[in-house]
Order: sequence, then structure tokens, then C-alpha cells
Amino acid sequence: MTAGDHYAVSSAAVLDGPFTTRQLLRLDDALRKADENSGLTFSTYVGEVEEPMREGAERLHARLAHPAESVLIAVDPARRQLEIVTGSQARKRLSDRDCKLAALSMAASFGGGDLAGGLVSGLAQLTGLAGKHNL
Amino acid sequence: MSTPDLSDLLIYAGIPLAVIGIIFALVYAAGGRNAKRYRPGRPYEFAPVWFLARPESDGPEAQHAALDAAARAELTAAGDVAPVVDVTGGASDRW
Repeated sequence: MTAGDHYAVSSAAVLDGPFTTRQLLRLDDALRKADENSGLTFSTYVGEVEEPMREGAERLHARLAHPAESVLIAVDPARRQLEIVTGSQARKRLSDRDCKLAALSMAASFGGGDLAGGLVSGLAQLTGLAGKHNL
Repeated sequence: MSTPDLSDLLIYAGIPLAVIGIIFALVYAAGGRNAKRYRPGRPYEFAPVWFLARPESDGPEAQHAALDAAARAELTAAGDVAPVVDVTGGASDRW
């Protein structure tokens, strides 16, 4: 469920993280459904992002295997800021306006301290806005 | 008015005290105060985590594994020296 990288992300880090097991399962389920329904690759990053935040999030996005078809939700709880990065192909399905709408609702949840709930509802919203996968 | 006996004391003082004790125990046994969770405005000291549905094929490591040294040399030989910077969109927000 997690991607190992030089941020020392491991399953231990995930279990010591701010999410309960139930929340992790919900998050995993939401990600899987988002990928299946939209055909895009959704990922969520929660933690410190390099300064400046937009560039840091774009660099993280560029490290994914298929950046063009990927959507990254980067959340920096310490800085109380979130970024949604869409690749060039994903952008055709998810306009910046759509992303802003999802960002607003996620920020509302995060402001109430609900990281997992905000991510799950944000993913559901983005999936709905991206529409069905046409193969 | 007679002096209260032991069973009266147990019923009118013992039971309420027991109920109060049980409620305190339930609240503090759950560890609600120290539960690891994010609280806005408090320091966030958790390691970064990155979630993907299929980290093996879509994750940050996958691309670098697929693009081995030979393929990399081929790409750079074709004049594609600078890494392709993808045009990205998206949005940001604060809370």
C-alpha cells in the first residue's frame, strides 16, 4: 500500500502514522476504487513536502512511474497546506476548477482534524469529476 | 429520623461513586488524550507516507527500475538531454 522511497517510508512508519488501521483500510479502498473507475493513478502523500510547496509536490509527482496519467494529493499537515498535482493527460479529465473544488472540501475536513476522512472524500470527489474510464 | 445504616449508604453514596469511577475509567482507558492523530495547530511529528493502490507498478520506484542504464543512454543519445518536464495542473488550498 505504501511506496518505499528515500523518505524512509515503511510499513512501520505507516502504522506509527496518524491513521488508525480502519482509516488505512478505507484509504486503500478509496484509492483502489479511484484507480479502477477513472483509469488514472491516484496517490496521496501525507507529510513534509520540500519548500516551496507547489514545486515540492510537482517533484514528488514527477517521481511516479506514469506522471502524465497520475494525480497526486500532497498534504503537509505541519504547514496546513495541500496541493493537488495532475499530469498532462490527467489534466484533460480533471480541470483545475475540479481540483480546486476537491481541495476546498478536503481543506474543510483537514481543518477539523480529519485527515483520513478528508482524503477519502477528496478522492471520491475527484473520481466522480474525472468520469468513467473509456477503454 | 434515624441514623443511616450501611445498606442505605451503599445505595445512595456507593452506587453514584461507582458510576463516576466507571465513567472516568472508560474515558482514560481509551487513551483519547494521547492517541496518535493529527490536531490542527499542534506539531505534526509523523514520518511522511505515500499511498498508492499499486505501488509496485505505479510507485516512485517502478519507473527507475524499468528504465535501465541502456535505455537511459539511448534516450540521452537521441538528444533528449533535459528531463521531460510534464505540464501539470491542479490546485492548492490552506486550512
